[in-house]
Amino acid sequence: MWSNMKRGLVAAMTLSAAAALALGGCGSSNPGSGGGGAITLKLVAADYGTGPQNSSQKYWQGIADAFHKQNPNITVTVQTINWNDFDSQVKTMVQNKQYPDVLEGDYFPDYAQAGLLYPAKDITSPATFSNLLPVFAKLDTYNGTQYGMPFTTSARTLFYNKQLFQKAGITAPPQTWADIQTDAAKIKRLGKMGFGLPLGPEEAQAESLLWFLGDGGGYQDASGNWAINSAPNVAALQFMTGLVKAGDTEPNPGTKNRTDLWKQFAQGQIGMINGSPALIPIIQSGGVLTSSDWASVPIAGKLGPLDKTLGVCDNVSVFKTDPSKKAAITKFLNFFYQDKYQIQFDQEYDLLPATNSAIQALSSDSTFGPFLKALPNSVQYSSAPVWTQVKTQIQQTIGTAMTQDPKQVLDAIQQTAQKGA
Amino acid sequence: MVDIARASGVSRAPARRPGRLPAIRRLRRAVTPLAWLGPAIALIVVVVLWPVYVMFNTSFQHFSPDGFLLGPAGSRNFTDLFAESGLSGILERTVIWVVVVVGVTMLISLALAQLFNQRFPGRRVARWALIAPWAASVVMTSLIFRWALDPNSGVINVFLHDIGLIKSFGSNEADWLGRPASALIWMIVVAIFVSLPFTTYALLAGLQTIPGELYEAARVDGASHWRVYRSITLPLLRPSFLVALLINVINVFNSFPIIWEMTQGGPGHETATTTVFMYQLKQAYIGESAALSVINFGLVIVVVLVFLKVTRWRDQVTA
Repeated sequence: MWSNMKRGLVAAMTLSAAAALALGGCGSSNPGSGGGGAITLKLVAADYGTGPQNSSQKYWQGIADAFHKQNPNITVTVQTINWNDFDSQVKTMVQNKQYPDVLEGDYFPDYAQAGLLYPAKDITSPATFSNLLPVFAKLDTYNGTQYGMPFTTSARTLFYNKQLFQKAGITAPPQTWADIQTDAAKIKRLGKMGFGLPLGPEEAQAESLLWFLGDGGGYQDASGNWAINSAPNVAALQFMTGLVKAGDTEPNPGTKNRTDLWKQFAQGQIGMINGSPALIPIIQSGGVLTSSDWASVPIAGKLGPLDKTLGVCDNVSVFKTDPSKKAAITKFLNFFYQDKYQIQFDQEYDLLPATNSAIQALSSDSTFGPFLKALPNSVQYSSAPVWTQVKTQIQQTIGTAMTQDPKQVLDAIQQTAQKGA
Repeated sequence: MVDIARASGVSRAPARRPGRLPAIRRLRRAVTPLAWLGPAIALIVVVVLWPVYVMFNTSFQHFSPDGFLLGPAGSRNFTDLFAESGLSGILERTVIWVVVVVGVTMLISLALAQLFNQRFPGRRVARWALIAPWAASVVMTSLIFRWALDPNSGVINVFLHDIGLIKSFGSNEADWLGRPASALIWMIVVAIFVSLPFTTYALLAGLQTIPGELYEAARVDGASHWRVYRSITLPLLRPSFLVALLINVINVFNSFPIIWEMTQGGPGHETATTTVFMYQLKQAYIGESAALSVINFGLVIVVVLVFLKVTRWRDQVTA
């Protein structure tokens, strides 16, 4: 019997080896982009969807198909990567020199520094270029030249669950850190989570910056020098540690990611959480909270609500792959920057547009209006090339400040920032 | 049989008089084995030696985070690596990880192999079932455990809550993967789970090579079960035990997907082993990551050499 089994195993292994070979064969027979004037462009984009039914793959494939209909000799292949893996997969791609033609998602200033990208001006028509939202131009600029092009934007606000607030007997939305502390404690007594604090690797750099801003801190000081280990930042982390220790947040925030906590908020399990418009579709698809059960207000600061917030934009960057593709890429960019597609994207994912004309078209919208007003006042991440390394370190280590000395954690990050790229 | 013997005798005859062969034929004779060894040698050079060279080379270069060579780094990657504050904890954790996972796996597998070597109804099905954790993708298994341990709705937590061991969902005690110590324990459990099939099969194969007469003789001499196991089974199982042990040590040391899928080595680097830390470093510091890779490589080599020495591998396995 033993030998029977072995024979079976060998057969199975032979089969799977053959299958692997066959698959490998398929992969390598991918047609090049050269022959007969046919051009293939590779688009890599982040997936903003919450599941297969609203995957960004669909959005981009729709654009790619429409574009191909107009330009039969240009084919755009679309690959989307979910946000959790986006940074690490793109980095691996670039480290292995497998550049996409067009990348949409996080912007990496060091790629501009390395000379990998086309300047935005060279790859778009003047009309498209001048239509890009100017607020984010500085963020996308390296050495005086703009490389990144904003594609979609969002501003952060504080979301709270009105139902839970009512049950806990809280009448006003939170405005200060003290409010957050007392409100969270009251909600905790209902058996729910008071405040959702996502300090896991997914987007810890955003959550911590919102707290730093609340104390007058930030990653850089007014003159643009790194100030990561400044006193206000340390104080902010200490305050957050206090919340965690009191059990007003989820346990072990350093291991909890934004996406998971947003889903819990949508299920009515969390009293307050910092969010962006992207949280709205998650709430809607959760089917637990109706639109009157939640609201969003400006981010709470130490002494009062913030008059500025974190403005985040996701960008398009274009890699210098094959010079013969340049004209085709320009055509494609001009095509997908049409208002129609900007608005389609924002309605699908409740994000904000990144072009002047699309903003105008949406300015009277009741959902988007407040966020659009916050955009011009927004604070942004650094555009220095070393930000890539700093961001990675914040994502990996800032959660440990909840159990260790915050000053030491911030000192280590500051050291990385000052060492430079 | 006789024919073959005669034929080989004939063909061997000229070889006894090499002096009479022309030079060209002698050369061809010397080179012929290369035709057979060549592909294997080429494979080793391309698949093993070249990457090792590249790894060493990379560890002494300065790379930008996007993979561009900025020039030689001297030994700076190594000094940076040794200055990492988490490194000593990571090394300690790696030792615990390897020793506990391999040790427990070997113990359980010894028992399982013994069990599967008995005749019992349904043995064939049971043996096939044992393959499942091995056949399933490790990533999939790890994800399933991660979901099962979800602090709010994981099936393990629901069960523990139902029997009263966990008071409330979403609490610190239900957050198994959030606390470094308990996360490590759960990841060790998963690593043992996926290592069992291979180890058990290796030991089972060993058990089946032990001749039945030895057991019969022992029974005639009136030896107890325990005595038979200690004096016959264990010594004769030694070769396959050592092979399984060595392969497990290397596999578990290099294991990446379990930890990456369950905690990503976090919070910080508090659940990372050297292999996972290597990947965390690679996000921003390619050279430093290569330096750690060199150290990992050295560690594996040292462990294997010490192991071979201590177990007198040659006498045991090749005898």
